[in-house]
Amino acid sequence: MASVQLNNIKKVYPYISGEDKKKNKKKNADEPEKKINLQITDEGVVAVQQFSLDIKDKEFIVLVGPSGCGKSTTLRMVAGLEEISGGELIIDGKVMNDVAPKDRDIAMVFQNYALYPHMTVYENMAFSLKLRHTPKDEIDKKVREAARILDITQYLERKPKALSGGQRQRVAIGRAIVRAPKVMLMDEPLSNLDAKLRNEMRAEIIKLRQRIDTTFMYVTHDQTEAMTLGDRIVIMRDGYIQQIGTPQEVFNHPANLFVAGFIGMPVMNFFDAELKREGDKFFVELSGVKVQLDEKKTARLLKNNVQSQPITLGVRPEHTHISDKGVPAKVDVSEMMGSSVHLHVDADGRDVIIIVPILDMEDNYNYGDLVHFTFAGNVAHVFSKETAKNLEY
Amino acid sequence: MKKTTESAAAGSGGSSKMHNTLVYFRQHWQLYVIFMLPAFLLTIIFRYIPMGGIAIAFTEYNPIRGIFGSEWVGFEHFQRFLSSPDFMRYLVNTLKLSVFGLLWGFPAPILLAFLLNRILSAKTKQKIQLVLYMPNFISVIVLCGIVRILLAPTGMVNMMLGTSFNFMTMPSAFRTIYIASGIWQGAGWASIIYTAALSNASKELKEAAVIDGANIIQQIKAVEWPAIKDTVLIQFIMSVGNIMSVGFEKAYALQTDLNLNASEIISTYVYKKGLLDGDYGFSTAVGLFNTVINVILLVTMNSLVKKMNDGKGI
Repeated sequence: MASVQLNNIKKVYPYISGEDKKKNKKKNADEPEKKINLQITDEGVVAVQQFSLDIKDKEFIVLVGPSGCGKSTTLRMVAGLEEISGGELIIDGKVMNDVAPKDRDIAMVFQNYALYPHMTVYENMAFSLKLRHTPKDEIDKKVREAARILDITQYLERKPKALSGGQRQRVAIGRAIVRAPKVMLMDEPLSNLDAKLRNEMRAEIIKLRQRIDTTFMYVTHDQTEAMTLGDRIVIMRDGYIQQIGTPQEVFNHPANLFVAGFIGMPVMNFFDAELKREGDKFFVELSGVKVQLDEKKTARLLKNNVQSQPITLGVRPEHTHISDKGVPAKVDVSEMMGSSVHLHVDADGRDVIIIVPILDMEDNYNYGDLVHFTFAGNVAHVFSKETAKNLEY
Repeated sequence: MKKTTESAAAGSGGSSKMHNTLVYFRQHWQLYVIFMLPAFLLTIIFRYIPMGGIAIAFTEYNPIRGIFGSEWVGFEHFQRFLSSPDFMRYLVNTLKLSVFGLLWGFPAPILLAFLLNRILSAKTKQKIQLVLYMPNFISVIVLCGIVRILLAPTGMVNMMLGTSFNFMTMPSAFRTIYIASGIWQGAGWASIIYTAALSNASKELKEAAVIDGANIIQQIKAVEWPAIKDTVLIQFIMSVGNIMSVGFEKAYALQTDLNLNASEIISTYVYKKGLLDGDYGFSTAVGLFNTVINVILLVTMNSLVKKMNDGKGI
């Protein structure tokens, strides 16, 4: 149990030689059309920068983002597996930048389980305690207790190759919890499991969290895992933090277009629209349809002294409704999802997804059908065209 | 009932796999022939047909009369060799050279591979590997020449020690010179196989060991050694199987009249008897004796290793 502070953490992967630097620069010059994700400086490639985060004792923090955004690098810096190029890492009030991984009192669960193949489950779980010269009876007690919590007691004498993926991941978690670490780090622990097992293990992790009192840092690229597990979510992109907040906050109040597009399934619909200020009221106008923003949104826009301007309007598919009047669109695809239908419509050349609950459906939608959709003023997200930031924040 | 069904399913799975393999083989037999025929022919021509030459060991071989025209003497050559007063000296010299060579030389490439695996910079690693591999490409005779120059009374070693020993004339120094130069020449090259096996050691596993608190030795024990253990065992069995096959070239090239007591081994004796004295029957018998001991050692060591290693061996 411990708080973790990351103050302006930075990670730069230096060039191995001058030639690499030249190659990188030449490559960038030759391929201007290719999007450069990470910042390339004279020092090297900057994988993480300006990363500041205060993690409270026993908090469950999830780092989420697309591949290459720096989430695993950040976790590995906390673990001590990567050197910290700049900034300060504090665990339980102590600066840990130069402390060896074994002395940080952390445990880590890896994506590929990282179990010693020649050891039994018991030996795998006992290994770190043995290295710390823990008395045998205490090791036995701790291993059996962890095995009981994770329901793997019957596998203690087996070797990892005789276990299924889910069982192996339980052992990996067990190996981490026997040490009762101050901070538990998990690097995409469920990525190797199939969808069903992943759901089960996700629930197991939630239960586990209630049983063991410790601080969690969890890395994933799966937003469902992030939303269901985290007390707070850190959304990253290209080495920068995009937003930190509770699952509800990042879903309801995305800080920018990236977060809005990344969180939520299906992804948020985006439109080129106009924000119109009329006195103390704000409207969004899309294809001739004018929707007034609600009081809370209006208050925030007023506070930021936002004026009329062209914007990117974001509306989630679940907040977009079929109606008699509204924005006209043609049906492209109708996907039956069980309790609802995901309707892909073409609105002025833009693909828009509308979630229609089965109960609200009067008839089937066919390719080419003309429909109209609308949305309410309290679910419209307005993003600046210039900065891609949410104008409310 | 469930178990029976499962095992039946497993059985049918196994037979269907076999069936698929046979179908694939029938469809692509030409590929197998092209792939295997050269190796098969080479083995027959250079490994099996010459076995007929073993018969020379039981004859008073005369090259003009041929194997079947020469006088059949049975085990006479074997009796002559085993009862010779020098037999024990040659056998002990051969065994000492190969056993000590194995004890010192076998772990060297493994240790080298562990060390190379610790080098983080790929470029530095490549450069070091290049330097380590180079001696392997020096011919044995050139190597022996270098050794003789370095160990000469006015050579670099004596200069560094401030002495003027003639190491090449000292029987007590022969084995050390032979084994040390062998390690210098071969350890780097032999480490390739272990370096390759070590690349299979999971990076995540190593990191897990670091977080678990393992020091370098414990990391090697828990992560790297299990990754190369099977390779090491196979190499060890093969090495033991070759324990009597000490090549004559190097021993002969490092031999002087004064170190003969330690440097005369079975293979140099075979060379001298067979090619220099023309006693082909006798030298073939000595060579065959050598081979039989090798085969016995190989089979014994393999069964010992299998017993100790969960049935894994050759």
